[in-house]
Amino acid sequence: MLRFVIRRLMVTLPMILVVVSLTWGLIRLAPGNFYTGEKVLPPAIEQNIREKYGLDQPWYVQYGRMLSNTLHGDFGNSLRYQGQSVNEILRNSLPVSASIGLAAYLLALLVGVTTGAISALRQNSGLDHASMGFAMIGISLPNFVLGPILVLTFALTFFWLPPARWEGFWSLNTILPVVTLSLVYMAYIARLSRSGMLEVLRSNYIRTARAKGLKEKDVVIRHGLRGGLLPVVSFTGPALALLITGTVVVERVFALPGLGQYFINANLNRDEPLIIGIVAFMSITVLLFNLLVDVAYGFFDPRVRY
Amino acid sequence: MAGRLWAVLFLTSATLGCTGVSADSEHFGRVTPPEGQTLRYISGSEPQTMDPQVGTGQPEARIYMALFDGLTEHHPQTNQPMPSLAERWEVNEDNSEFVFHMRRDARWSDGEPITAQDMVYSWRRALSPELAAPNAYLAFHIKYSQAYNESGFFVRDPESGRYVLDSDISGEVDGLGPLESNSGMTPFRRFMSGPMRLTLPGDEESQQTLYRANPRLAEWVRGKDLVPVTAADMGIEAVDPYTLRVTLSQPVPFFPGLLTHQFLRPVPEQVIEAHGDDWTDVENIVTSGPFLLETYQAYDKIVVVKSPTYWDADRVRLEQITFYPMEEATTMMNLYKAGVVDAVFNHVVPIAWLDQIGPLLDYMNAPENAIEYYIFNTTQPPMDDIRVRRAFNAAVDKVALAEFKRTAKPLTAFSPEGIFPGYVQPVGDDFDVDRARRLLAEAGYSDANGDYDPSTFPIGEVELTYNTTESNRQVAEFVQAQWRQNLGLTVGLKNMEWQAYLEDTRTMAFKGIARRGWVGDYMDPYTFLELFATPTGNNGSGWFSPEYLENLNRGNSSLDPEERFRLLAEAEAQILEVQPIIPLFTNSTNWMKKPYVKGMYPNPGTMHPWKYVYIEHDPALWDRGTPSLVPDGKYQEPSD
Repeated sequence: MLRFVIRRLMVTLPMILVVVSLTWGLIRLAPGNFYTGEKVLPPAIEQNIREKYGLDQPWYVQYGRMLSNTLHGDFGNSLRYQGQSVNEILRNSLPVSASIGLAAYLLALLVGVTTGAISALRQNSGLDHASMGFAMIGISLPNFVLGPILVLTFALTFFWLPPARWEGFWSLNTILPVVTLSLVYMAYIARLSRSGMLEVLRSNYIRTARAKGLKEKDVVIRHGLRGGLLPVVSFTGPALALLITGTVVVERVFALPGLGQYFINANLNRDEPLIIGIVAFMSITVLLFNLLVDVAYGFFDPRVRY
Repeated sequence: MAGRLWAVLFLTSATLGCTGVSADSEHFGRVTPPEGQTLRYISGSEPQTMDPQVGTGQPEARIYMALFDGLTEHHPQTNQPMPSLAERWEVNEDNSEFVFHMRRDARWSDGEPITAQDMVYSWRRALSPELAAPNAYLAFHIKYSQAYNESGFFVRDPESGRYVLDSDISGEVDGLGPLESNSGMTPFRRFMSGPMRLTLPGDEESQQTLYRANPRLAEWVRGKDLVPVTAADMGIEAVDPYTLRVTLSQPVPFFPGLLTHQFLRPVPEQVIEAHGDDWTDVENIVTSGPFLLETYQAYDKIVVVKSPTYWDADRVRLEQITFYPMEEATTMMNLYKAGVVDAVFNHVVPIAWLDQIGPLLDYMNAPENAIEYYIFNTTQPPMDDIRVRRAFNAAVDKVALAEFKRTAKPLTAFSPEGIFPGYVQPVGDDFDVDRARRLLAEAGYSDANGDYDPSTFPIGEVELTYNTTESNRQVAEFVQAQWRQNLGLTVGLKNMEWQAYLEDTRTMAFKGIARRGWVGDYMDPYTFLELFATPTGNNGSGWFSPEYLENLNRGNSSLDPEERFRLLAEAEAQILEVQPIIPLFTNSTNWMKKPYVKGMYPNPGTMHPWKYVYIEHDPALWDRGTPSLVPDGKYQEPSD
């Protein structure tokens, strides 16, 4: 088990270096620079800027600097947002994205698993069809449509909730973005846990559990859910990693100061250190969550041994 | 069960149906003023920095206006310059030297006086190659500032100690007379009022290019010393603590207007020298404007509060302004409707909403100091032929385009219409399909009878390049349809991502026609006309005429504003004659404010001097509709 984790962690570092190198190369390939605007700069001013930010140096010097920064975990200063370091930006925006993302995922888990499990137990009942119908809508409704619908209803018609902006996690402002974000995941989880449960409930060990006279509650919760939730567990890794590192659409629609907004704008502005910083951070998160999921398998599925 | 599902869907759609603007309402959403004197304003994209000499955009400019005062400030209604840190100024006989008399009661927020020396420091910093400010070009009119910014050199004869002059190279006889006759002056004054010295660019490569192009120059420079141009060589001088003299390399009658720009507002030496790049942090920053920076949270909010040290603090009525940086138009409109914000910046109302919003009393719309146009690549056939260019221009119905755009005004000239009082704009070619077809026939695209024949036109050589936005696409498709209908030519459309598009238009790699937009840097037609004053840079069309430049310079040397405008208009007419462009429309400001926000006007730059803005709690005094843009004497008028 420990050896498995160590082996996986050892692969992580080279993978991150590959990812940031590819990203760095892609930024080079894209036309334009962080300082190009609608107004064309006189060549001398452009030269001043290139010197100031070391863009006049050979590519291998710039590449080496980027790699060394990444290895030190200090990505330098943003080119666009003068005087702000990438680490500072990550520190400030991550809590917003992470708290919204985590809350959305917990809500999705709670509602999704419950609905999925109940649907599986009452397969083909009206309840099952209704909840799976809802799940289908949830999956097909993109959040840039759902967000505005919720805003229109709850913020601009009934004036119950604020339409946008961040006022800290424990405020009414958080409700709409969390719900918007969670619906699609809720739907996925409901469907995954329903099919997982259906499969498990038909398996031999459940029959055995029932045969030895366990109470139905124990059968479903202790044996059924544990096996039935395996697909949800493997879905959770990448999903949670993406949710925590920011979701562009919801952050823009609700004007949240999260990582997703920075990421999209960093790309549009060709803000190299910021792009590299966020990409490196996202890769670490994805790799780490995948590892956690693999470890979690060991607890959920007795067949898995490391 | 399925029935219940449908019931829910029906309820949702019913809810959607009854929102939107109710027809009887005069305003968009809630109209409840905030308590006290607090303004909540959506300011646009996240600001790059709080350093006014580095941040380039308008969203930044609006925040800087709260924090930093300028020698002049925008008039709230016209955006023309008004005295601010400078109480008054004098100008010499050809608009090339300004003396500013600064007010003695102006203080930085740390209590230090704001002096002419602060201006000298600020402008030297602004133009230093080390700061590498993208806006530096705005100050290039200041004598030798461009050479300093480019790390350039003067050329000196090591034996006589005499500097080589511009006139030596051009061959004009322009003796050293002024140096001799003004013997009573300080050495710096003699230097500044003397003839223009020759300057060379900083890097070897550009120097060699110049030598190759001009052998006479190479000859003059050979064996001479290259003396670096320093900050102290620029035409900026503190005559005494409250008098600033600025010497320009050419006549610049609009210089006081340029001083409203963020780039030329003073910054605090004492803090910058102590903290370096961190001087703009909330705990370090020292400011000069009507408000102090209290909170700065990226992508969230910037809070400024009234400054007790501001020289005009008695006039300031707002206690606090909260700026919300934001990019989604729908989100802004939602916040505005819910009454969470009191006003928004320009270009916010989506076109699709104008049917509902346009008639409302809190909708603000007026011509903007900005235009949209297409440029021709005049270096490549078929667009190297004036007749073809004129034909393509005359085949677009600008009036119909403006109606289609809804917020814009049709444009046939090259400067925005109706925002520069006293400037009589030339009128460009109007919409005339017959003439367009005739012109093309004359250009050789005709059949045996001499009639216009679309099949002879090399349409494959022409495409219309624009950067990808919804509105650019709509305009391009409209114009494309016009050409198809009127000329029988289907011009291909090519949309490009912003940065790629910039690269393509900058290197003139585009085929035939490309989209352009220009936002004026200051309130004078010259901010548009100067685009064609150079063959490169923002020109983009490849068309350049020394005669045109001559006309502009003659205009700017004129002290009589009427005469000057007449000459500028002549120059503008010259552009329309040669037609390197297709003018499309004058943009409009297109924003909203609640009726209780007073002192805020739909001026051409959407620049609001915040000291005049306040919240009116008495509904009887609220604005009903767009407030007048005609100066009503409530504000200081510009002195000479």
